[in-house]
Amino acid sequence: MASLSAKEKRFGTGIIAFYLTHTAIFWGYPFVWMVMLAFSRWRFVGRPTFVGLANFLRILQDSNFIRIVLNTLNFLAYLIPMLLISSLIFAIALSRMRYFKTFVVMSFLVANVSSGVAYSIMFSNLFAVNGPLNRIVYSLFGFTIPWFSDPRLAVFSICLIVTWKFVGYYGMIIYAGLQAIPSSLFEAAKMDGASNWKIFWTITLPLLNPSLITVTVFATTLTFGIFTEPYMITGGGPMMRTMTLLIYMYDTAFRRIDPSYATVVAIATAVMSFSLVIVIRRIFEREVALV
Amino acid sequence: MRRFWLFTLSLVVVVAFGATKLVFWTAPNPLQEEFWKEIVAEWNKLRPDVQIELSVIPAAASSEEAILTAIAAGKAPDISENIFSGFAAQLADIGAIHPLDNFKDDFWKLVDTRKMRNIVEGWKIKGRYYVFPIYSNPMLFWWRGDLLKQLGYDRPPRAYSEIYELSSKFTKPNEKYVMQVIAGRNWWDRWFDFITYYYAASGGKAYIDPERRRAVFNNEYGLKVAEFIHKMFRENHTAVELGSNPFYMGSILGKITGPWEINWAKETFPDVMPHVWLAPPPVPDDYPTDLPIYTFADTKGLVIYENCKNKKAAFEFISWVFSKVEHDVLWIEKTRMPPAREDLATNPAFTRFMDDKFFKAYAEAVAYAVPPALIDKTIDVQLSMTTHLIEPLMYLKGQPKDILSTAVREINKILF
Repeated sequence: MASLSAKEKRFGTGIIAFYLTHTAIFWGYPFVWMVMLAFSRWRFVGRPTFVGLANFLRILQDSNFIRIVLNTLNFLAYLIPMLLISSLIFAIALSRMRYFKTFVVMSFLVANVSSGVAYSIMFSNLFAVNGPLNRIVYSLFGFTIPWFSDPRLAVFSICLIVTWKFVGYYGMIIYAGLQAIPSSLFEAAKMDGASNWKIFWTITLPLLNPSLITVTVFATTLTFGIFTEPYMITGGGPMMRTMTLLIYMYDTAFRRIDPSYATVVAIATAVMSFSLVIVIRRIFEREVALV
Repeated sequence: MRRFWLFTLSLVVVVAFGATKLVFWTAPNPLQEEFWKEIVAEWNKLRPDVQIELSVIPAAASSEEAILTAIAAGKAPDISENIFSGFAAQLADIGAIHPLDNFKDDFWKLVDTRKMRNIVEGWKIKGRYYVFPIYSNPMLFWWRGDLLKQLGYDRPPRAYSEIYELSSKFTKPNEKYVMQVIAGRNWWDRWFDFITYYYAASGGKAYIDPERRRAVFNNEYGLKVAEFIHKMFRENHTAVELGSNPFYMGSILGKITGPWEINWAKETFPDVMPHVWLAPPPVPDDYPTDLPIYTFADTKGLVIYENCKNKKAAFEFISWVFSKVEHDVLWIEKTRMPPAREDLATNPAFTRFMDDKFFKAYAEAVAYAVPPALIDKTIDVQLSMTTHLIEPLMYLKGQPKDILSTAVREINKILF
């Protein structure tokens, strides 16, 4: 029995060894390196020099960083409602479809797997001053929409592109939530004379809370990671309004040759992102029991 | 017989002591790769004792990222090309590259052989020479000759007033414009708009003094350029977002570009290219007609890294490549980009390329093409230029004089 136990121990250790090695290399080592970088000054060559909290103090006085944090809040204000509403509409429409359901789902998911660079070029052509959208608007109303030239509109336009990319994916999460609601609940409500609107507000939406929270959390972390669209289309402009934390991090590390400060920007981004997720869950998450 | 013994002896030495292997990273550009493959194969045959291992800069979002990651990982190459001046200044600042003037007379002999004394002066970083410039791409304006002819012109516009006049005949708001006066909103776009126009207006004067670390474009030339950009937007002569390839689609009459676009454009737009007229960037109306017009040079060079196993051997390879004029001839054949040498228009070796109007125009402009300021804060300076100069001019937020003063003040804060 004892020898079997030793064998089992070896077997168990063998199984978790792979995971532990993987974690040590791809998580542990970068984490230790991140901590070292955050408290030091290092420029790719030589050994890091310990600087204490200097990098953290610098971020508090960095006007560019503060501007970008405000931009991120701006992106969140647009993107979360846009993504939630469009995904919900997509899911409800899908649940009412009888034919071509797979085709529609696949069509929307194509956007999710498309190359960021390719669709950024496509959208910059579509939204150009002399592009097809503006031509239609001009011929109908006699003016054009400065999609990427106006500082406020540029943020909205980027959010529009991100929404297009994720509506299929997030819509599927909400669709799965919709499918999990027992139809008997709707039937009972109808028998009691409830209107469709009443059913939506008092049954569908509350029971969709887990799916909606999942999408909100995903959309929040997604917003903190926006990179390709502004990098390709607006270059962070106009007036720095579409500059994102990831672009700033990348440029600081690899173009300004300041990986130590970029690390602190990354830590600040992670802290903000996680804190916001915790706040969202605390405020909006509800315990939902279907049985 | 003597040659045979020499060859046998060198082979014995190589076998006995092992050859030096140097890793050389080239630009991720198929045309340049083709050139280097041929050159390196020839060298490796000639020098079995110093073997060059050629590879393209690894895939990453940028060459800079790939090189910096390799330096951090201790896997930097011995030599690499595709180094722009701002990046070279940063690499020199962190001590990652080796000054080539350490090779003393050998370096200056090579510079003289390749006829590039003045060119290397433009690459001096804190009094040292870290980069060997390979090519110099002057930025020139391409104009749609066919459309200009229809409008009654037989030459491209030269001065700002000619651009305004041309615009009044061609521009249809929201449809077509005379040109895109602003290249884009990324930091590197400033090389292709404000800095190019400033060089043209000032006769090639510096916009930043790297020694004093001061922006110096708050002068009559800077003001003329700022007024030009401001007027182009104020009077609706230009737009920023015009989709892909507006020049070839006929949505704009002129665009600024470098010689890298020639081969692609000839293949993609064969009907448009024969009608393209080339010209230097536009200048203020009072710019003397008898003076050459300067422009921005998008130039790239080659460096030896500090971690190089055998710097002497690396320099021997560089010397061998660039001391032979036939190698520069091969470079032009493969890439169509002008080598960074001052005798392109006079050396008979290059005469045959002068039949090509595109190459001729770019080659002749090399002498008047000025590289960017050699500073280690290129990105921040040019981002600030975008935020405090270009965008206020575009959105007409203030008068050009005030905008210019603010931009210089903000840039000086970064440089200080």
